[in-house]
Amino acid sequence: MSRAVRLLLTQRIALLAVLLVVVVVTFFINDMGGYLTAPYDFDYMSASLISAVPLAMLGLAEMLVILSGRGGIDLSVGAIVSLAGMGFGFAYGEWGWPLWPAILATAGLGALLGAVNGFLVSYIGFPALIATLATFYAYKSLAIVVNDQQPISTAPVQELFTLSKSVELPLFGRYVPDVPLGIFTFLLPTVVAVWLLLARTGYGRRLYAIGTNDVAARWAGIPVRDTRFKAYVYAGLISGLVAVVTVGQFASARPDAGVSGNGMALPAITIAVLGGVAITGGIGRVAGVVLATLLIVWLNAGILLAFVGNEGSQYQLLALGAVLIFAALLNGLTNRKYGGTQ
Amino acid sequence: MTDANEVPRLRLTAISKRFGAVRAIQHADFTVRAAKVHALVGENGAGKSTMIKIVAGAETADTGEIEFDGVPVGMKDTAAAIALGIATVYQEPQLFPELTVAENIFLGREITKTGRVDWAAQNARVVELLDLLGLPERYATAEVGTLSVAEQQQVSIAKALASDAKVLILDEPSAILTDAEIEVLFGVVRRLTAAGVAVVYISHRLDELFRIADEVTVMRDGRTIGTYPIKDLTVRQIAHLMVGEELSDARPHRVVPEGPAVLELSGLTRAGKFRDVDVRVRAGEIVALYGLVGSGVSEIAACVYGIDHATSGDLRLGGASVRIRNPEHAQRLGVALLPANRKVEGMFGFQSIAFNISAGHLRLLSRFGVWVDRARERSEALRLIERLAVRTPHERQPISAMSGGNAQKVVLARQLVERPKVLVLAEPTQGVDVGAKEEIHRLITELAEEGTAVLVVTSDLPEALRIADRIQVVRGGTTTDEFGPDASQVDLLAAAAGGDR
Amino acid sequence: MTAVAQARIRKRVLPSPVTGQEVVLAGVIAALWAALAVGTPAFLTAGSVQPLLVATAPVALVGVGMTIVIITGGIDVSVGGAIMVCSVLTAKALVGADVGLGAAVLLSVAAGGVLGLVNGVLIAYGRVHAIIITFGTANLFMFLGLRIFGSGTVNGIPGTLAFFGRGPDGRTLGIPHAFLITLLITAAAWWWLRHTAGGRHFFAIGGDAQAARLAGVRVQRRVLLAYVLTGLLVGLASCFVIAQGTSTLDQSVGSGKELAVIAAVVIGGTSIMGGRGSVLGTLLGALLVQTVVSGVTQLGWRSQLSDLFVGIFIIVAVGADLLRARARRNR
Repeated sequence: MSRAVRLLLTQRIALLAVLLVVVVVTFFINDMGGYLTAPYDFDYMSASLISAVPLAMLGLAEMLVILSGRGGIDLSVGAIVSLAGMGFGFAYGEWGWPLWPAILATAGLGALLGAVNGFLVSYIGFPALIATLATFYAYKSLAIVVNDQQPISTAPVQELFTLSKSVELPLFGRYVPDVPLGIFTFLLPTVVAVWLLLARTGYGRRLYAIGTNDVAARWAGIPVRDTRFKAYVYAGLISGLVAVVTVGQFASARPDAGVSGNGMALPAITIAVLGGVAITGGIGRVAGVVLATLLIVWLNAGILLAFVGNEGSQYQLLALGAVLIFAALLNGLTNRKYGGTQ
Repeated sequence: MTDANEVPRLRLTAISKRFGAVRAIQHADFTVRAAKVHALVGENGAGKSTMIKIVAGAETADTGEIEFDGVPVGMKDTAAAIALGIATVYQEPQLFPELTVAENIFLGREITKTGRVDWAAQNARVVELLDLLGLPERYATAEVGTLSVAEQQQVSIAKALASDAKVLILDEPSAILTDAEIEVLFGVVRRLTAAGVAVVYISHRLDELFRIADEVTVMRDGRTIGTYPIKDLTVRQIAHLMVGEELSDARPHRVVPEGPAVLELSGLTRAGKFRDVDVRVRAGEIVALYGLVGSGVSEIAACVYGIDHATSGDLRLGGASVRIRNPEHAQRLGVALLPANRKVEGMFGFQSIAFNISAGHLRLLSRFGVWVDRARERSEALRLIERLAVRTPHERQPISAMSGGNAQKVVLARQLVERPKVLVLAEPTQGVDVGAKEEIHRLITELAEEGTAVLVVTSDLPEALRIADRIQVVRGGTTTDEFGPDASQVDLLAAAAGGDR
Repeated sequence: MTAVAQARIRKRVLPSPVTGQEVVLAGVIAALWAALAVGTPAFLTAGSVQPLLVATAPVALVGVGMTIVIITGGIDVSVGGAIMVCSVLTAKALVGADVGLGAAVLLSVAAGGVLGLVNGVLIAYGRVHAIIITFGTANLFMFLGLRIFGSGTVNGIPGTLAFFGRGPDGRTLGIPHAFLITLLITAAAWWWLRHTAGGRHFFAIGGDAQAARLAGVRVQRRVLLAYVLTGLLVGLASCFVIAQGTSTLDQSVGSGKELAVIAAVVIGGTSIMGGRGSVLGTLLGALLVQTVVSGVTQLGWRSQLSDLFVGIFIIVAVGADLLRARARRNR
């Protein structure tokens, strides 16, 4: 028994998996009892995955910079989504670029904006919170000013809505629910790429090394600055891809896409922390972030059915805040009792 | 002089303390009398630090009793200890660089007048304390961050004195002080004991205990071995009590093959740190750079490895003059370095042994320079675990869970992944148990036998004598005398400490 | 000791009361005002400066608390959510219960105190980094705020709080009360942080919490106090926010304010790493940001352009500090 408790507390993946099952089963039972406003079934769960695409991708972006240590964080991801999205809107919607070059250019623009963060943090020595707070303001402002507050929703941009359509899977697609296209075109490639980067490449090792102890990394001959700089570039690049996804979802390049309301940075950081990424750097796994995203997405999807009107979106805030604080306090407890989470 | 029936100022009985699975202290006894200097000695990891933390209330003992003037006390936090008049000067200065000296000294016990801090009264008292320590009074209002390390240490002592301490704990106060500063310190200690203060004095420099201590308590493996009047002991006897076995200094004489120097420093200077350093190391030779803390010896090592840069002079590798840009560059040139501060500069704490070994060699261990060859990484880790006799169930064990000796072997293993031409070892056995120390010394000799040029930077005299073929003494930021392996400890210490001891 | 020495020491017991950063900030603000006065004649009139000061007040006031929090090495990103809770609660009370000025302020401040207490307890005793806890409570507070809103907006708020507002009732001798109160609280906090033991302890905690604990500072209580104080100030600032608006309060209230406050604090020279900072700098930082916002509008530029300048100011202010620190290290 105590071994099971210990496993749950020290293995974040195990805890998230259990919570995920609890959430899904709870809503299934509620559904059978008729307490929900619409059926909570596999089709609904599958369709709700569309909101997992930007969330998980930005969660992974935050994970990269948080892993790099020294208070790594990126408050500007939402503003990059806005600004790179406007760039995409111009290239694809106004200047008539073909789709792929436009997507590549948008990712490149995101990477460039991330490089500004990386340069300030890694080479000049700004605390990440400050540097990305400043660029958050700057990018947000530029995104709004660049097209005079107007969204770009020309015909080619509107047709991109197909990106968020659900598709039937090949071979066994008839037996499982349709899945949003964005999962395959953006999320899965990003998840695989980040996983490969972190778990299989020398860069990944260096990133974990500088996040764990950047002084030791320097003495071990690891290029600390260059490694940390690249983490912010990769985070910007992923944000650029999210910009494309977001433009597709809204069928419009909106100047405030990534910063309206709560913005996108806050939920992304929440997902990363919930997924077991240590805010002090050096600890975190892709699987944790993916599971945390699924947990939040399916919890939110259920909450939406459990309440009438906009109460649902309000209770989603409660759930997000409560789950984050719960996970954080658990981390603190685990550190004291078992010497850390893995 | 000592009355056996006198109630001791502080008496700790049957103290035990665990940190997770580690037993830091088990069943330790320690008694401190008023107006006496009590030395507490033991090897690193023997439990001295934990013991004084318990006395200072920074850690709470799991079991055991603490009596102050014969009255049992709880000692549940630092405030309780401070209230009793127990003041501690820690090894790392516990100071606040952004605050002034006066503020630092009175932090937590400010003199207040109608709600506000009475700066004038505090400063007047601080000036008295600075006077006692021989520091200029203008330091009272200087920000601590602007002072030198030695000055900061003295501020720490002034801070401890400010509270009318009945018990003063000094944790290795002499490690970073010059001889002149140590004399000032001893003067202060004598004045305090004359005033009835009990002083607990922790030091690695055993020779200085004979000049200041009345009694010595020896700790080993978390236990107190015993308390003795210092006049009944010799340095050798204390060392014997500390390690628990007779030190063997005898070693077979090695023959170093003739040949040109692989590493050669001539006139190497880094302004403000060291100057005109001349050192030559041949292939297969072990040269020790021996100097006390603060002599500039560690800065020389940092320069050879490209962490710092020389301002003038020449550094030659294999005969060619080079300017080493950074550690990465040093590695490419075949220079490896084992850093002195294992926890800060060496270990990737919660990462695995394999991770710790492969860090810094990822290009070599990767396919196409990108993908980590995990099979090769594992076999490399296993090879080095075996070669260095690292005690671990598997190579995925986190390094933070290992003992000091085993962790040091892992960090050393990292330096051996790509066979270095020049291996610099900074304090290779600091905080390492006796067994691991033997093994590391054996390994260093083996590496030299295989043709590596080894430079050992150490402040551990027996170590220098045991493994080096030549010993180069560093004093006052420059290389002075050179000794062979048959030199006496006294000669070496005298050369390093300035000749008057 | 000689009387002369004593007198000399008494004269300079602490580092300079005003930092270089603050002098530069004051200079930049003066230069901007001068430039704006030349560029738009309407700028240096009461009709322009008074709203500027009123608008500065809430950010600067919350900034006092945030400065203390950041000096301890923490941060509070939940103040936006907390402003929403306090202002909607107070607005509803004004509409529904017809409470007076004093009662409304008391209610708002008490509510802010409770929210600050929640943050403080979780951070001081939960041993979790402040940014994570306050990201969490930010969501909780927003939930709470939106629940109190019910749906839509709060309409028909009476002018009970006009004492803090833009109108003639909100001024004495031409100076807006909201700004005057902010000025007084900033001055008090400045004195408290500089001259009392409790105030100095915040700096020690931010410098090295463990060492402060060993020195006998009750670290957890001080940290708790910092967040409670921030909450109380959020409560008062919420009254300013209600008074500044029309008789309507909508759900965007408080949104993004946490970042605006943090921006003012770091522009003012407080180190995000803790241990160093000043509430005077924060007031100047808030004033600078508001000057830019006001200037951009008066010059007829697109108002969102002011955010770009805020970003640049943060980079310049903190960058200058970094370069100074680097120069000190290399000395």
